[in-house]
Amino acid sequence: MTNEPIIELHDVAVEFSGFKAVSGLNLSVAKGELRCLIGPNGAGKTTALDVICGKVRARSGQVLLKGQDITRLSEYRIARRGIGRKFQVPSIFREMTVRDNLEVGYCKHLGVFSNAIRFRRAERDGLEKLAALVGLDDVMDEPAGYLSHGQTQWLEIALLLAQNSEVILLDEPTAGMTAQETMHTAKIFNSLKGRHTIVVVEHDMAFVREISDVITVMHQGKVLAEGCAADVQNDARVREAYLGSGGIAHA
Amino acid sequence: MIDIVSQISVGLSIASILLLIALGLAIIYGTMGVINLAHGEFVMLGAYAVWFLQTYLGIGLLAGLILVFILIGLVGWVVERSLIRHLYNRPLDTILATWGVGVILQQGVRLAAGAELRYVKMPDILTNPVTFLGYDESAYRIFIFVVAVALLLVTYILVFRTEFGLQLRAITQNRDIARCFGVNAGRIYSLTFAYGAGLAGLAGALVSPLKSVSPDMGTNYVVDAFLVVVAGGVQSLLGTVASSYLIGQASGVLAFLSDDTMAKAIVFLSVVVLIRLFPQGLFAMRVRRS
Amino acid sequence: MRGNGRIKRTLLGYIVFCIAILIVPIFISDAYLLNKFARYLVFGLLSVALSLSWGYAGILNLGQAVSFGLGSYCMAMALKLRTIPIQTGAGGLPDFMVWNNVQTLPWFWEPFHSYAFALFAGIAVPVAVAFLIGWFIFRARVSGVYVAIITLAMLVVINLLIIDQQRFTGGFNGITDLTTFELFGVQFDAYSTALYYLAAIILSLTLLLGFAFINSKTGLILQAIRDDETRVWYFGYDVANYQNFIFCVSAAVAGVAGMLYTLVMEFASPTFLAVPISLSIVIWCAVGGRASLVGAALGAIVVTGVQGSLSDTQAFLDTWMLIMGALFIVIVLFLPNGLISMLELIWRKKRPLQGSASARLVASRASRTGQATGHRAVSSR
Repeated sequence: MTNEPIIELHDVAVEFSGFKAVSGLNLSVAKGELRCLIGPNGAGKTTALDVICGKVRARSGQVLLKGQDITRLSEYRIARRGIGRKFQVPSIFREMTVRDNLEVGYCKHLGVFSNAIRFRRAERDGLEKLAALVGLDDVMDEPAGYLSHGQTQWLEIALLLAQNSEVILLDEPTAGMTAQETMHTAKIFNSLKGRHTIVVVEHDMAFVREISDVITVMHQGKVLAEGCAADVQNDARVREAYLGSGGIAHA
Repeated sequence: MIDIVSQISVGLSIASILLLIALGLAIIYGTMGVINLAHGEFVMLGAYAVWFLQTYLGIGLLAGLILVFILIGLVGWVVERSLIRHLYNRPLDTILATWGVGVILQQGVRLAAGAELRYVKMPDILTNPVTFLGYDESAYRIFIFVVAVALLLVTYILVFRTEFGLQLRAITQNRDIARCFGVNAGRIYSLTFAYGAGLAGLAGALVSPLKSVSPDMGTNYVVDAFLVVVAGGVQSLLGTVASSYLIGQASGVLAFLSDDTMAKAIVFLSVVVLIRLFPQGLFAMRVRRS
Repeated sequence: MRGNGRIKRTLLGYIVFCIAILIVPIFISDAYLLNKFARYLVFGLLSVALSLSWGYAGILNLGQAVSFGLGSYCMAMALKLRTIPIQTGAGGLPDFMVWNNVQTLPWFWEPFHSYAFALFAGIAVPVAVAFLIGWFIFRARVSGVYVAIITLAMLVVINLLIIDQQRFTGGFNGITDLTTFELFGVQFDAYSTALYYLAAIILSLTLLLGFAFINSKTGLILQAIRDDETRVWYFGYDVANYQNFIFCVSAAVAGVAGMLYTLVMEFASPTFLAVPISLSIVIWCAVGGRASLVGAALGAIVVTGVQGSLSDTQAFLDTWMLIMGALFIVIVLFLPNGLISMLELIWRKKRPLQGSASARLVASRASRTGQATGHRAVSSR
């Protein structure tokens, strides 16, 4: 990767009441890259995403976005600087329609007063297109709470697309999807490469192989190995870390 | 010197009443996550139960305590069985439903016993002050202090040293998983709620000789109790004890400096500020929330 | 487009309601009855205020009566200063101050000689108080049940303070013996048609403006916050700002309701900002439908209207509260969106031509509301 790094983690540590979820974590993701984070359970993958998007605070170390320190910023300020996040547990607005969900996701204007006199007609076309992209265009006026699990995942992805962040953090985006849906997701992410920088935490190795440029393997709160899929799978330390959890292919 | 000691004892007395009232609430809130706004009405029922036993059956306060505990516990059990269990996944709605229960209990008592103030007699053996380390202390207040500490110990043992407590804590951590291991969550919740209600009843019985008994007395108690629990940190029994003590002492000192109303206002405001600074309470653990 | 059609239909419902309350005086000339009806409208306005924050943003404000009471006192202070014959005390002191040995008018009473200031203060004071409380709770990311407890605590504190500061507030008795409010030459006597119209117009305007507001983008984001507060932060919205904003808007509406209430009742009293009225607001709102402004208004009008038409004796009121408590529980358990949601259900059933899909939708909505809220609760733990 010749591109300059957009996200850098320097020696980041996160603790929960004495338990070190992440310690001495160093990570650098280049602009436009699609990076996969893998690792056994409890390796600190989700925490790594949490610390980037401001959900948890680093006890020590630094998080940089385009060279600027965002370690101490609160999550909405980080979001405003261009980092979007999808959580492991699908979180959409269940009592609102799909259309309303997308309109919330379309967050070009953030002020409470300016939005009070803004009526939601302007973005209609763009949102319809977006819904079509993830196959939700025929349920635009259904409450999101009625969507199937797979559709919920799609909606969340569409929310991120509406948000249109420079950096997108995804926590297990294909959990609960069929193989076919997973491949469709892979296609969407592949098409986002270059324009967006994407960091994905994922267990499905087939999916990871399909989309990733570089894979980072985490273990016990640290980076264990980094490289392309083949390199990582042949790495002795990685094999060791996964021993007992059935090998990397099943992780 | 004398002033400081007597001031501390005033504070301790307030603190022990607060602890009594907050204990039941802390158990219910901390373990079940249910905001029981009828808690104040349970306290009120306890006070009326004592008044009823004393006035109509001639049973004194001390003799009636166990009975009050069982009676109000039973009321709590019924409320949990018929109502609360349908709302475990809707915490905001438990507030509303228990508020409704509070209204029903309050109005029920008002219709049955009348709106006028009632008075409960202190037990004869505890009316005289006793001399303690050279100071005159109200025997009844010392009694309340002792009971509060005793109930705290009982609660502690119940939660941390019994099979029941183990199951309760398991459910608090993760209800579904606890269920998978064969814990009967419904039964444990019913009993916990009943126990918390019983404690509230006891609190009401014990404060009844110190304050007048009226159908709407519960409102103030429930707010007091909640501030104590919230300030202490929701899932920490120790936190509840510490914040009862702090709030009790602060109330004592402030009441001495100005008057009861101002003391209450200042203490309430301070607790709100405290919550602003420590949203998790003073004694909370930092955990990863998913 | 169905989403659009629904908005139009709802707007039609709002307009019908507004016309209905505006033509009431044509049929009713009894001043006593009209006064009663004006009172119900004020309660309706108060209920709308709670619906804005609770129904649309998930902020369960158990201390809504604070704003109501403060608005009421602001109006009463202005009217008190104009009471004729001029007060018993020297220099135009209100009577209760004289009884409490207050020598001169306190500085914060001074500006209330002006109606303009009083009208401004009746909104600004509740908003300022709400802003402070809101700043404390929302900046601390306090949400859900904590908001309920803190607002309840604030209500108790402010009520205590007003009763305690008898010299300046009239204590338990409140501020009584007021003059008639007059604006642009119109006398708003408590029993006048003018006052009824004032209440009806303000309620109508609030409903229509409120309707526009909840359909704005800010209204949409507030509903998103109600559904999943944490998620909204990650879009870059400053959730605390949004929450505090609606909290203040709600306080402003309640403040206006309070001012009107002083006119209708001809006094201000600490019972206006006590726990029972705060509880009543929540009940009205829940019964009518918390997530519908017009539903909330109807809830208040129906509940207080039925109460007022049955009896006014104390024994009846006590029994009535008991019944309300039970009804409240039933609504919370089985009809979380209140009576208005039943109306919607009936309306849709009558129009099967619109496609069975929407009918199915309503049916499943009714059966799944509990589940949906349940999910929200789990994810916010």
